[in-house]
Amino acid sequence: MFKNYLKIAFRNLWKTKGYSLLNIVGLSIGMASAILIFLWIQNELSIERFHEKGNRIFVMYNKDKSTSGEIWAWNSTPQVMGPTLKTDYPEVEDMSRFTNSTFLVKLGDKKINGQAAFVDSGFLKIFSFPLMQGNKEIALNNTYDIVLTEKFAKSMFGNEDPMGKSLILDSVHNFIVTGVLKDLPNNTIFRFDYLLPFSYQKVIGNMSESWTNNSLRTYVLLKDPSLHSTFDSKVRTITIDHTKESANPSTIEVFSHPLEKLYLYGKNDNGKLVAGNLVMVRLFSVIGAFILLIACINFMNLSTARSEKRAKEVGIRKVVGVTKTSLVLQFLGESILLSIISFILALLLVTIVLSGFNTLVGKELFIPFKTINFWLYSIAFILLTGLIAGSYPSFYLSSFNPVKVLKGTYKKVKAPFTPRKVLVTIQFTFAIILITSTIIISKQIRFGLEREAGYDRKDLVYIFNEGDVKKHFSAIKNDLISRGAILSATMNQSPITQRWSDSWGFKWSGSTKEDEKELFLRLGTDADFVKTMGLELIQGRDIDVYQYPSDSSALILNESAVKAMRLEDPIGQKVGFVGGDAQMTIVGVIKDFIIESPFQEKITPMMIAGPIYYWPNVAHFKLNPANNNIENLKILKEVLAKYNPEYPANYVFADENYATKFKGIERTGKLVVLFAGLTIFISCLGLFGLATYMAENRVKEIGIRKVLGASVFEVTSLLSREFLTLVLISFVIATPIAWYIMHQWLADYSYKISIEWWIFALVALIAILITLFTVSFQSIKAAIANPVKSLRDE
Amino acid sequence: MIKIQQLEKLYRTEEIETLVLNKISFEVKEGEFVAVMGPSGCGKSTLLNIIGLLDDCDGGSFFFNNIDVSKYNERKRSALRKKNIGFVFQSFNLIDELTVYENVELPLIYTKVKASERKERVEEVLQQMQIMHRRNHFPQQLSGGQQQRVAVARAVVNKPKLILADEPTGNLDSNNGNEVMQLLTELNQAGTTVIMVTHSEHDAHFSHKIIRMLDGQIVTENILL
Repeated sequence: MFKNYLKIAFRNLWKTKGYSLLNIVGLSIGMASAILIFLWIQNELSIERFHEKGNRIFVMYNKDKSTSGEIWAWNSTPQVMGPTLKTDYPEVEDMSRFTNSTFLVKLGDKKINGQAAFVDSGFLKIFSFPLMQGNKEIALNNTYDIVLTEKFAKSMFGNEDPMGKSLILDSVHNFIVTGVLKDLPNNTIFRFDYLLPFSYQKVIGNMSESWTNNSLRTYVLLKDPSLHSTFDSKVRTITIDHTKESANPSTIEVFSHPLEKLYLYGKNDNGKLVAGNLVMVRLFSVIGAFILLIACINFMNLSTARSEKRAKEVGIRKVVGVTKTSLVLQFLGESILLSIISFILALLLVTIVLSGFNTLVGKELFIPFKTINFWLYSIAFILLTGLIAGSYPSFYLSSFNPVKVLKGTYKKVKAPFTPRKVLVTIQFTFAIILITSTIIISKQIRFGLEREAGYDRKDLVYIFNEGDVKKHFSAIKNDLISRGAILSATMNQSPITQRWSDSWGFKWSGSTKEDEKELFLRLGTDADFVKTMGLELIQGRDIDVYQYPSDSSALILNESAVKAMRLEDPIGQKVGFVGGDAQMTIVGVIKDFIIESPFQEKITPMMIAGPIYYWPNVAHFKLNPANNNIENLKILKEVLAKYNPEYPANYVFADENYATKFKGIERTGKLVVLFAGLTIFISCLGLFGLATYMAENRVKEIGIRKVLGASVFEVTSLLSREFLTLVLISFVIATPIAWYIMHQWLADYSYKISIEWWIFALVALIAILITLFTVSFQSIKAAIANPVKSLRDE
Repeated sequence: MIKIQQLEKLYRTEEIETLVLNKISFEVKEGEFVAVMGPSGCGKSTLLNIIGLLDDCDGGSFFFNNIDVSKYNERKRSALRKKNIGFVFQSFNLIDELTVYENVELPLIYTKVKASERKERVEEVLQQMQIMHRRNHFPQQLSGGQQQRVAVARAVVNKPKLILADEPTGNLDSNNGNEVMQLLTELNQAGTTVIMVTHSEHDAHFSHKIIRMLDGQIVTENILL
């Protein structure tokens, strides 16, 4: 029996090669998309879920009201919080602070810039990052202990055993390797090449006892997960309590958030942490499910459209006594067979495209061939796909009345809403939603890209001031200018493309108590800031400590700051600190420029201060446009090598760094384009197949119409009209859905496009053209055929 | 009306070439009723298709109303066909998805007759064929005779000068067959030229002239009076 079914299934596949191919190609692409999305979702959902003590690990959060009245929650916390929690709160078993930094790591002649993470000794005990060598109880106990990841150990020591060997950090301090960590899994948000004990922060002068300097993450391990609410209620006022005696008492409240929810529920919604990344996970689950469904719909439509050709087989089987149930099973078996073939192809396809997909989503996904779970899921997936695809056709086919079928009087019904039409409408509704989204997302990206940043990013590079750059900055600058490689240079707190620092608590003539909460973005310069960045000066002058020594406490404001401070004549006015006597003098006002997201409408008030008030972390250089940049950069490297020989010269182009601001949105855009393209492709495969059957079934009708005088155009449009109607119905259904989804999506951006009517008109046009293109081949073929052949009676 | 000289038609397959029509010549005058007879495969349907401008010929000439149409392209043939020629087939060839009314209306749509006039003419011809009461039925709901009456109605609704009937009674019983022959005779008496392919001697005797064919050639031409 089974053999007979299998034989017929294979013969049917083979007999209708063209349609089997359409089905298999469509289904494999659909399944491959679903597998990719599934791998991605599985990774997203497993982020930080692998820690053995996961349910007891919490991340500390701050929460405070901003000047606008909105409550913000963020997880940068003061350095002193962690140790205080461990000593003063009995619920806490252990804690670790975490902050990244970069050091040049040296071994003999080998120098590598590696990413460090400062952690407390509790880190290895709290988190499940297993040590391959070393003892997690003691590995980070001493200030000069270092624990390397396997990969970093390999790149420093090759195949040598690194344990107990020494490495030099920043050309200054000797560290002893006390452990080697297994490489970080692909589902963690922690990033580092090696771990350093937190106590080393003290050695390099980064220790802060302040409760208002929020600079790092604090993780705690509670003794029991049930203690969470007790702990939260006790810890709420920790910062307020520790600052109430000070000159600048804080209003920040503290709470803890489960580590396992950190990634998926990390979006601030007025002080509450809600689904952030989870929204994307949900969105792509829906997209994945729909793409698979669309591929299944192809199968359903092609099978039922072909049904008349199989009606006879059904009739004969029924006449010889086969029950309906076993017919249903037979047809389901066929769809599952097809599903198996498609799955194998899909796996092949995924293997081929996975590395490209990884680049696209910025992950390191892989197919877990070696796990039993993967194969169990695969079997479930094949059965599910086969059942979805085969359910409707098998019940439809098996319900034929054998008498009618065998007498040839079986005729299909003519109804305005056949299941097939509904299914095609579903396919196109989904495709149209994706096309609309694609257009709106790419328009929004372009809108941001075209926004004037307010400064000249061209030929602007920056370096991080490692080693002796700061010490020799004047000499470096003069050398570069005299050799013609740059026009100007400036030493700053942070790259022009990044927001590193902000603060509040300023006072000025006419400021109120409320103004003390106004947040300012903080930057700094020694000189030539306006000139190097190509900013527009509106009033006053640039800061220049070399010409005006008093400029070490000078201040440049942006327009937004002047406005927020309500200053009528800002030049010469003083700005001081609440609870302190120091004052800065305003020497210039610049036009607003974008340092944060180009999709943020409002420009944050900005203070660019003289050298007393910032740490010169980076230096910017405006390359000389008169020379080519290869030459300019060669000179830059030479000069840096001369004054700072210990460190490799790593420069960053400002415009390249600015472009990373679009990475997230561009990734979303690319994914939507990818899946829209696949959806359209799969839908068109189905449409092509359907159009073929339709043309075959109507060959006689077309003949009659032609005999009666219908032109090729009339016949073609007759055949295409039916599909166009379905596409238009889909358009009507899809438009409000697409509008709603995109409206929600755009709500995350304050600088955004409005959704205009012409986008939908364009989408309708695209959908119509795609449909016509797909069905016209078959329609025209049918229309130009000689009617004599189709009407011949003998 | 129709003048055919030395008409040839070849059918080619990969291996063989068959001469279906071998230098045929004959004439049909306006108002004539001609029956074409002969065994299966003798080329009579091919001849009818060529006269109906559905197929082209490989040699000879074909004059329709004194115009040589043998070199006409598809568009010109189609234009000439839809204005001048009506078809009746053995298997009726009605469109299953359309009602009786819509089937009959079809030729008028393709000749761009206005909607109001269409209604008038369709109803007139349905009355004439006595199937007005079935106007909203679908073809499958009718008997064979009724279906062929609808087909005839469709063939004449455009008031063609020529009706081509390919075994119009072949799928009908004798009563219904006679009715259809009666209809064709009436149309002919009203001035329409009729060319009919048939196997039936009985049907052939409704005509004025019988052309007998064998192996792609005309064997005899009998004038009946």
